[in-house]
Amino acid sequence: MTAEPVAEQPSTPLAGLARLLDQHVVAHDDVKEALLLALVCREHIYIEGPPGTAKTRLAEIVASGCGLEFFFYQLHRDTRLAELVGDIVLERRPIEQAPEELLAGPGGAPAPDAGPSDAKPPAAEAPGASIGERIHQRIEPGGLLVAEICVLDDISRAPGEALNVLLRLLNERRFGSDEIPLLTAIATGNPMDDEYYNEPLDPANLDRFALQLRVRGLIHDGGEAARELIDRFASGDVEERPEPSAVIDREDLDRAYDELSNVEVPDGVRAGLLEVLRTLVTDEECDESNSLLTDRSFLVKAVKLIRGRALLRGRRSATAEDLDVLLWMSTFRVPEEVAARMGEIVARVQAKVGSG
Amino acid sequence: MTTERIDSFALDLVEGLRRRLDAVLVGQEQAKLAVLIGVLAREHVLLEGAPGCGKSLLAEAGLGAMGADVHLCSFHRDTRREDLLGEVNLHRRVHGNSERLSFDLEPGRMLKAQLVVLDNLGRAPGEALAPLLQLLGSRVVDLGRGGMMRLPLETAVATMALPGGEVGHEGVAVDPLEPSQLDRFALQVRMEGLVTARRWGLCRAVLDSSLERAEPGVRLAELNAAERLRLQDWVTRIPYPEDVQASVRETVLALAARVRAATRGGDGRALLSDRVFGAVLPKVLRAHAAVRGAAVVGVEDLRVLRVMVAQRLPQGLLDVLEEVLHEAIAVPSPESMSTSEEGDQGLPMTADGANEQVMTDALPGQVPGAPTTEAELPEAPALPPRRRKPRPADVEPLIKAFEGRLDRGRSDLDDDPGGQPRGFRPLRRFDELIDADPLDALLLVDGTLAGPPRVLRRRRRTLGGAVVIARDVSSSMAGFRNDWASELICGLVRAAARRRMRVGYLEFHQRAIPRILGGRLLHRRYEQLNQLVREARPMGQTNYEAPLRMALDALRGRRGANRHVVMLTDGLPILGDTQVRAERALAKKLGVSLHTVFVGDGASPPVLDSISHETSGLRFQAIERSGSLVLSERGALPGAPGAPGAPGSPGDVAEATMVAAPA
Repeated sequence: MTAEPVAEQPSTPLAGLARLLDQHVVAHDDVKEALLLALVCREHIYIEGPPGTAKTRLAEIVASGCGLEFFFYQLHRDTRLAELVGDIVLERRPIEQAPEELLAGPGGAPAPDAGPSDAKPPAAEAPGASIGERIHQRIEPGGLLVAEICVLDDISRAPGEALNVLLRLLNERRFGSDEIPLLTAIATGNPMDDEYYNEPLDPANLDRFALQLRVRGLIHDGGEAARELIDRFASGDVEERPEPSAVIDREDLDRAYDELSNVEVPDGVRAGLLEVLRTLVTDEECDESNSLLTDRSFLVKAVKLIRGRALLRGRRSATAEDLDVLLWMSTFRVPEEVAARMGEIVARVQAKVGSG
Repeated sequence: MTTERIDSFALDLVEGLRRRLDAVLVGQEQAKLAVLIGVLAREHVLLEGAPGCGKSLLAEAGLGAMGADVHLCSFHRDTRREDLLGEVNLHRRVHGNSERLSFDLEPGRMLKAQLVVLDNLGRAPGEALAPLLQLLGSRVVDLGRGGMMRLPLETAVATMALPGGEVGHEGVAVDPLEPSQLDRFALQVRMEGLVTARRWGLCRAVLDSSLERAEPGVRLAELNAAERLRLQDWVTRIPYPEDVQASVRETVLALAARVRAATRGGDGRALLSDRVFGAVLPKVLRAHAAVRGAAVVGVEDLRVLRVMVAQRLPQGLLDVLEEVLHEAIAVPSPESMSTSEEGDQGLPMTADGANEQVMTDALPGQVPGAPTTEAELPEAPALPPRRRKPRPADVEPLIKAFEGRLDRGRSDLDDDPGGQPRGFRPLRRFDELIDADPLDALLLVDGTLAGPPRVLRRRRRTLGGAVVIARDVSSSMAGFRNDWASELICGLVRAAARRRMRVGYLEFHQRAIPRILGGRLLHRRYEQLNQLVREARPMGQTNYEAPLRMALDALRGRRGANRHVVMLTDGLPILGDTQVRAERALAKKLGVSLHTVFVGDGASPPVLDSISHETSGLRFQAIERSGSLVLSERGALPGAPGAPGAPGSPGDVAEATMVAAPA
């Protein structure tokens, strides 16, 4: 998958950001590329892995490296609406209303809630003793509503109900009927089979994150990358959490996004995409009850991501190789056994498309 | 002739709208039909389906083309009544020492809109929805203090995830609508994704269209307000001949009769209300005729029933509707098929080749209303084929009963600070002030509130839960009993897996042996566990105490309800505390249900009955009959009025059946 690392192609968009990621984080090449892909395609990404595997770190570097309006939020069990979308403001304004109008109510009918305490004749009331007040609760936009890029850390810690508000924010990028400037949301979560207080994302929320990856600890896995990681910090002159400055800006991202639609997706690649889907539905028995093979993700967003991957590698036309994005789309959308075989499934189709 | 000119003008407009919807969304013909009819007949529409199948897209873009103010309301956990209806004006009046408060409503945008999208309805707590759903029906709102307001509302299109936990890996946090609320939506369609419905031709069309850049030059038909009103008016005047009226009446009555018969007098789930199938149906039939391009209502417009029943008929009864339609509508000639069917013909986005593919790909799991005129459909057409792995019939009763218990545990609402607001309670800690009723909070700040402010009471359905399965592997379990036990346990694990509950598995003889996976006794590695279960090798003697203790220790310290232990054994305990008193007490304290399954012909040990009875667990016994094991639920304890928390437990009946059943 990393035959031609993005960072080594200076001509491609976001190469600067790719270098920045390499500078700060050892290995995790797939997560890095997926993050760049999410930025280029303006899609959302969900990264799941055990603690201390650089999930949040990578997200932070991306966020500060592209110099956008940035919102970082750590979700928790008691996550409230206000914490995600800004402050709730309670306003009270006096309403001008004549005392007699108040008493009579509109249309002259007695107030519906008139109780025994109201039996007093109107004349007994002191003039000017009535106050009308409007109580208005509104949201002062903040948080997700003003951010261009956001990191939703530990998203699995929030109960599903609290995340309902995200559905529309992430997908239509609207709050009520107002557009929000959000480009990409990066969510991180802990593995579901662990003893954390967390629960899996509900399917609707999960589908908002077009890209979904699982990370593992380098040291846990051993190997060359683990050595590099340990050595890097052993020298003692590496700051653990440096604050990188922006290396790209909004214009770079806009340019890349515009170019996206110029990337060609040849007939064979489209057929390949359908062939993978057909394999999943027919041979692997994925259906609505065990999978999340939604039209939105696999017919619309998949095409965008295929284009994005080609673009990141400096190509103007997609190839069968770009079907690799399906691996990042299916991680949590198909049953675990099927996800483990996705590599084979995609490779088989790629070979067929390549030869045909 | 003037009327003819109006007709052709109106039909052109309708055709333009159809094209518009086709451009917005490929496929999903039924849903598009429902939205169009909804606008023409001024009725409300409910679109339900899996995530990402285009519900919201269709609702928003569809209504956006109708030349009216569209108000969009997106529901979430914290949607409040005020967000839906408008601002509240508070009036305070002081009389001497007392103060009187009254309210009235300042109508919000939703109350002023003609077309409304209710996105993700059901994600908001039912309490917030109640006033909204009421005004969908009456189209009148009480402004308080005696003022009433008639709403300009014509059509609301609601979208909803499928209720019930069947979709995806985890249940969707959705409150199902009540029947009275569902009935507000005359039109109801269940949508299925093109990929999962295997409609590859349409999938290809979507792929291709997502590659095209939107051409700014092409303007699709859009109505203006005057045109919409004129169109709606024209629809109400479409002739509805008397002979058609008669066949519609007979068809509706035939449908009702079949539904009654199929549900044995109606179990309340079929909802053929007088309002919708009496008063609303003619309007909807007229609108269907208009969409079909006919200027007169015909019998074939009864096909509109297909987009009215998604929630009104149980899924299993959809073929009943098809039968009734088939009898009412004489076998259509090929010409009338092509004009009247809302099939895939005439989709501008679909190439001809793709069309053919769709037709040849027709599957049993296809969307209802795709051209099916055969009388005998093998299964309900809307259901995707459910694959059920073959399982020996004799473990089925236990799995079923067990699943019932799991689901009952799940549906309990527990207090949880992250849950949906359901009613109010007094404030207990000051940090709850963020959830306080705004008015109470204001009065509190003013110093005029007596007592604590009320705050939202948040509750949620318990998700997850855990099951520990304790399996007797003493030497008497060898042979086919062991295979049977493996089968049963794998079934239990699958039941837990469907609910994403954690599972634990331990084997016991004189000792208890935890089967650890991934370093833990409780985990979600269902597949690996099933492997392990099949490798069990019986040996040794029986001890109840050790396994129960181990299972309860694993569940200890876990919050929430829905914790279960299933103990499978064939012997009397010989070692340890044979009455397991301490474990029974602990299980009660933790609220864990202990279910027991006794394998053997002899009398089940009374201690097993006590264990289950005290913890509201299930009690099963498996008896050898002609070389296989027959499973039955054990009756209530003598003198015990049924297990608490298990009303209607079929215990006694089941035992009686067992005795009477021939070997």
